[in-house]
Amino acid sequence: MTVPTDAQQQIDAYLEALRKGLRELSDPEARDIVEEIRSHILDKAAMAGEITNARVTATLSSLGSPQELARQYTTDDLLNRAQRARSPLLILRSLFRWASLSFGGFWVLLFSLVGYFLAGAFSLCALLKPLHPQTAGLWHLPDGDTYSLRLGFGPVPAGGREMLGWWIVPLGLIGGSGLALLTFHFGVWSIRQLWKPYRARKR
Amino acid sequence: MARSQLQTSSDAENWEVQLRKGSLELAILATLWDGRHYGLEILRRLESDSDLLLSEGTVYPLLNRLRVLGLVDSEWVESDSGHPRKYYRLTAAGRRRALEMSRIWARFSASLSTLLAPLEKERK
Repeated sequence: MTVPTDAQQQIDAYLEALRKGLRELSDPEARDIVEEIRSHILDKAAMAGEITNARVTATLSSLGSPQELARQYTTDDLLNRAQRARSPLLILRSLFRWASLSFGGFWVLLFSLVGYFLAGAFSLCALLKPLHPQTAGLWHLPDGDTYSLRLGFGPVPAGGREMLGWWIVPLGLIGGSGLALLTFHFGVWSIRQLWKPYRARKR
Repeated sequence: MARSQLQTSSDAENWEVQLRKGSLELAILATLWDGRHYGLEILRRLESDSDLLLSEGTVYPLLNRLRVLGLVDSEWVESDSGHPRKYYRLTAAGRRRALEMSRIWARFSASLSTLLAPLEKERK
């Protein structure tokens, strides 16, 4: 089968863009997908006889943009891995992708970020308490009747009262780890129960 | 055309798109029921035997997902055309899933047909 040079260039450019979009996947997986799409383009363009530049253009157009095609593969892959994931980083990466696709994903990502931030803040406060025994902890501030979790790097807040004392160490560590675990499971649950059905509808 | 009529028409189109998307997985499993096929053959069968195909770019990622789920197997086979083709076939789990989905589809369609009978008369 002879492919004219201009048609070959079109095919190569499309497949190169597809390959770039698939860089999150393993090399063998990405190569397999690119070769399958190459095979499809050649078969489809040759269906009506000789391969011409116009037939290749029409074939590529019916496939859609290489970026969108790659996104369908990588989002499916991320969703599959996230469902079995035990890594908070992979869950967060999946949530960032979901947030870029829908408003629901954005809210789940926001809750997760807040959850991890608070978990980190409680744990850090517990760990810093032995280094800053006078200033680190959960403080009640008379100004505005507010509570503040302080890591102890600043001065003692004027008029403030420390609420937990040394209890911040076990409570911060247990509370921080518990909150991190809860946030992780919330992310996994959301991906399985909310994103998966959403993805099935959008496909 | 009144705005509400336009809205109704667009809603109906939207609903049809969702319906097609929802049925595509069953349609692909059904095209593989009689043996192995490569992507373009599956696409051509979807085009000729059904009205489900929305975009060619949708089918390949879906085939890949069905492979990851263990519902289809794939293998590369050399062809006379000068390049290899990736063939798909149903696995035992894929056959079970296709039968189950087809059973649900038949039940769903039959129950809806009963409800739709008066509308059908009106449409004629």
